Amino acid sequence: MPSFLDRVAALPRLGLGVSTEYGAGARDGALDPAQLRREHPGFAQFLEVGVEVSKGLDDDAEAWAARGLPTTYHFLDINLDEPADFDETWLAQVRAVCAQLDPAWMCGDAGLWHFGARERGHMLLLPPVLEREAVAPMAAGIARLRETTGLEVLPENPPGAAFVGAMHLLEFFAALADAADTGLLLDCAHLAMFQRARGLDPLAGFDDFCWDRVVELHLAGGRELEREGLAWVEDDHGVEILPETWAIAEAAIDRASNLRALVVECERNAIAEVVPLFERAASLAGAELDAVASP
Amino acid sequence: MSTPNHERAFDPRRVQQALVCMLFDPKYAARVYGEAELAELGVRERALLREVDPRALATDDMRRARAMHAILDEFPVSAAVVGLDLVDRFFASPAFRRCVFERGAMALAFGDDYLRDRAKGVGALETAMAHARRRRPRTGPPASLARAPGVEIVRVPDQTLAWYQRGRQRLGDEPLRALAKLRKPWKQKPPRRGAQWLLIETDGDGSLALGGASAALGGLLAAAGQGIAPALLRARAIELGAAPEDAAELLDDLVRDGLLVDLG
Repeated sequence: MPSFLDRVAALPRLGLGVSTEYGAGARDGALDPAQLRREHPGFAQFLEVGVEVSKGLDDDAEAWAARGLPTTYHFLDINLDEPADFDETWLAQVRAVCAQLDPAWMCGDAGLWHFGARERGHMLLLPPVLEREAVAPMAAGIARLRETTGLEVLPENPPGAAFVGAMHLLEFFAALADAADTGLLLDCAHLAMFQRARGLDPLAGFDDFCWDRVVELHLAGGRELEREGLAWVEDDHGVEILPETWAIAEAAIDRASNLRALVVECERNAIAEVVPLFERAASLAGAELDAVASP
Repeated sequence: MSTPNHERAFDPRRVQQALVCMLFDPKYAARVYGEAELAELGVRERALLREVDPRALATDDMRRARAMHAILDEFPVSAAVVGLDLVDRFFASPAFRRCVFERGAMALAFGDDYLRDRAKGVGALETAMAHARRRRPRTGPPASLARAPGVEIVRVPDQTLAWYQRGRQRLGDEPLRALAKLRKPWKQKPPRRGAQWLLIETDGDGSLALGGASAALGGLLAAAGQGIAPALLRARAIELGAAPEDAAELLDDLVRDGLLVDLG
């Protein structure tokens, strides 16, 4: 197989997109991706669909897929470093969802999505343990999922209030991308959380990062909270994007030579509330990121 | 003899599993931060966890409530019998930690490993229902006969089914709301005397059918379990009253009826 840096040339340029997950649009006033595309085609050039296979796709995602519009598949239910998670039942369901969505690639947080077995009530999301020994098992899972689906699998840096391990998040994900020979999804809001938690500058670790592997970026709002003197950011996908998240996105766009997609994660907000976020994201991304061809 | 902690290979997954337990249980977190030995963690694993700011473990007020919701959904009547405080303490129990460290299923760990006899037959019934819902493949040897996935049998005190059904009625259409208002465990306790066999079957749509079973059928399905050699199951059928010449046909019938499965 050619190396990822050769394979990346075949990945489509999806442009600026919006995310959804099962039931996200059902809440009153929540964003309807199809309506966003009608009213602002440039802001919904593709749909990133968050998938738990036990739930499947909701009406919004099914309708989008039925029109043959571009998608990506964001997994929400696989611990990549846990071989027992790759059971045949789950894999068959993943393949079925892929057949329906025809996604450009798979992506998702490379962290602990559930404790114990994949069961109701077990869901959570913890970042990986930032130590060298955690890289190889996760890389093996990425390679396995790529072989099984025939799709590129882009690990994403997860959010967290506590990060365990000595490595910098970017150092860990660079090692992971190298070991799995894959691209990356950099979540700018999650990275901002990490930098804050470690007391680092928003752009700390940027100099040695493998920017040519970054294929997709996420932008999302976060809520600043404080308890007993501990400040942290909740990843609420709201309409308030932290200044350092914007700064990270701007710096990342400048450096990511193989960038194909930028997602504004705001699925539970009204279109009118999120348009300014898309406008700013579009201006950061520039025309170079626009989708080459959308049906 | 287990490997001494300082010699054990570093395992990042074990660190995450312990972190999960710390997130759910402040007392467990205190043990990690404390000095007493913890057999499940190596020295380096524990050192990494001790660097976590304890305040960062308490940033999600609803974590335990969300998990408890999943338990109450499957064990509503048991929860009313034992009280919500006892259900909540599950998350601070060795049973919960075994579930986390050994890739268990929380509902099954709750029923099998924590609740045990605390809710009498009602607990046993709801635990059996939790097993039936999961329709797990049987693990017996090839060529054995096993209870079909989704079929469970349980022997409980007499009148348990009627008591359970009244309990469900009492909790109404929204059992979680009713449980949330429950300040103390129910005063009425489930039956303790006599015995009845209850059969639980999973329908195609995932719903469960509950009903009584004869002692002979109950004993036979219990013996089948995860899988037993057909000859042994025929012998058990005869012990339970089947005519020797009919035993093989009886088992064939149970396979046809979907109660037993041939593990081929």
